[in-house]
Amino acid sequence: MSNENQFNEKESLALIAQMINKAKESCHHTGVSTIMWGIVITVCSLVRFAEIHFNYWLPFDIYYTTFIAVIPQIYFSIKEKRERKVKTWEDSFIDYTWLGFGISIFLLILITNIMGHSLQPVIEKYETLTASASPFRFYEYVAPLFLMLYGLPTFITGAGTKFRPMVIGGIFCWLASVITIYTPGKIDLLVTALAAILAWLIPGIILERDYRIAKKKLEEENV
Amino acid sequence: MFKDLDPILHSQLRLAVMSLLISVKEAEFTFLKEKTKATAGNLSVQIQKLKEAGYIDVTKQFKDNYPQTICKITNTGINAFEKYVENLKSYLG
Repeated sequence: MSNENQFNEKESLALIAQMINKAKESCHHTGVSTIMWGIVITVCSLVRFAEIHFNYWLPFDIYYTTFIAVIPQIYFSIKEKRERKVKTWEDSFIDYTWLGFGISIFLLILITNIMGHSLQPVIEKYETLTASASPFRFYEYVAPLFLMLYGLPTFITGAGTKFRPMVIGGIFCWLASVITIYTPGKIDLLVTALAAILAWLIPGIILERDYRIAKKKLEEENV
Repeated sequence: MFKDLDPILHSQLRLAVMSLLISVKEAEFTFLKEKTKATAGNLSVQIQKLKEAGYIDVTKQFKDNYPQTICKITNTGINAFEKYVENLKSYLG
């Protein structure tokens, strides 16, 4: 392209539109992190379901893998940031949304654990006094809280980037949040696994596919 | 009534750079070069002109031991670009 200024007004507008479209087309993100979290949450939920169903418990808490998954997440984030030649306004907004989500999830784990431990003696005392199982099981109500929170950044990301699979995934998380209020804890785990597949795993696969197609197209254009 | 078009923006390469930068928060020099298909030398000259006009901010830094140039549109640049598009409309209207 030259810096020639002998071009008419129509060509000028066409150039503006062409460049704006080129900039938009360049803003594809990898789906690697999304796929990873989709797999981690699905596997954790299904393993915990299997533990309850078969009454066979692993020597460690499967949910600790979510903390371990933070390590590759940091690596993916740094790698993507380094490879990114362009940063959009949406990028910053979405990055902060997911950072806020991460902090909120950490706090929710902390709060529910403290509440669970505080309520346990009361439940045990009730069961001793009445010689029957407590009608209130705190952990039955934990899944709806997590699912409600899963829905928020997923929906915002989907709506903000006009990416329908994540909008659907986010809405499903909220729907699942309501469903799990009424379902037993074991079923909550299956619903959570399904929510993770719909909110993250499938959208992540679509994102990654689109990213690879866009990257290939760009490489072909620059040959 | 026809209005004069900003001579800084009424140049193919400078307008292309501004159109790319108005769509994003910031972009690397290599990205602008890739999209405009301009030569590095020509692009550098035009970026310098846009910088001197106060339309863009240019930050130079190092990434993996290689120099990296990041361009970002300024508020003055956004206003000038919007005015340019408005003036174009008066020609085409």
